[in-house]
Amino acid sequence: MSGINYSSADDDALVKAARQGELAAFEELVFRHRDQIYARAFSMTRHEEDAVDLSQEAWIKGWQRLGQFQGDSSFTTWMTRIVINLCLDHLRKQKRHRTDSIEELEEDSGGVERQMPVVTVNPTAGLERAELRKKIDGALGQLTAEHHTVLVLHEFEDMDYKTIAKTVGCSMGTVMSRLFYARRKMAALLADLRKES
Amino acid sequence: MKLQAFLDGELPEREAREILAWSQRDREAASLLAELRNIRQALAKSEPHLSHPESREFFWSKIEREIQRLKPHPVAAPPRSGFAALRRWLFPAVAVSALVIAGVIAYFQAPTAAVQTVADADAPTVETTLANSDATTYRDASEGTTLVLFSYATDDNPVKKPTAIN
Repeated sequence: MSGINYSSADDDALVKAARQGELAAFEELVFRHRDQIYARAFSMTRHEEDAVDLSQEAWIKGWQRLGQFQGDSSFTTWMTRIVINLCLDHLRKQKRHRTDSIEELEEDSGGVERQMPVVTVNPTAGLERAELRKKIDGALGQLTAEHHTVLVLHEFEDMDYKTIAKTVGCSMGTVMSRLFYARRKMAALLADLRKES
Repeated sequence: MKLQAFLDGELPEREAREILAWSQRDREAASLLAELRNIRQALAKSEPHLSHPESREFFWSKIEREIQRLKPHPVAAPPRSGFAALRRWLFPAVAVSALVIAGVIAYFQAPTAAVQTVADADAPTVETTLANSDATTYRDASEGTTLVLFSYATDDNPVKKPTAIN
């Protein structure tokens, strides 16, 4: 046992202790970062139960792969990558069983976003942060899995086009067109929400 | 989408300057760029904050149970060299081979003798030693008699003939 105080130790110390087999150190890491990992899983899947299951699976894989964590990035970044990959696998499996709606097929084929009128007024101006978060969350929920995935990876994970393409398994052109559609759709949805309120 | 790539810093410098110039002279391009910029800025500062719906204890209990089920502890570093990896397989393979060879040797060296006894509690017993098929033993407990018959080849007669020892 390392004898460290888990609640006051930093992540590096906890990771080091966990790699020595101290499960309690790993428990502290889970406690600290479970919300963040869950939030990423939810933003990818838009489904609470799936997000809980996938974030749980991510933590178990994190424990199993602790020996591979080199410290090149932060522990949370490393864990986030694990949960993202699990979510992408999950979405791929779902897509195989899913029947696309006509709207989704039009979105995937591209070109629809060019017909959307430009939103000239900033739909988010003047909104309180909490309210803005709520509206954005609602709008994200109306995008297809493919579109909110690229949006999440680009806007929240700061991935560039090439990295997104590699992570998701599609071309850079597809990433660009999905991102373009997702942003235009978000603008339209937020503008509608603003009109309603 | 060139406007988007410009906004995201994905264009080479020369192309980025061209797109910027275009957006400054074309009203529609400028409006679209503004829309994309507004959404990007909104998303940058407004990622939804979510709390895990399960209690800390319950969530951890599920993780811990699965970790315990999947033991041993997986933190051991993988073999760093090819020889180390080879050694992992070589030693067990050698051990198994040694066992197999020992088993084969034991099998072929096992005495081929088998004693067949035709037994009847009251009747005399006859034993034939297969290892030495030249000897046959006749034993009669009631008479207190033991007869051993040997067959051997002689110089005169290469065919074995029995000789009795009482």
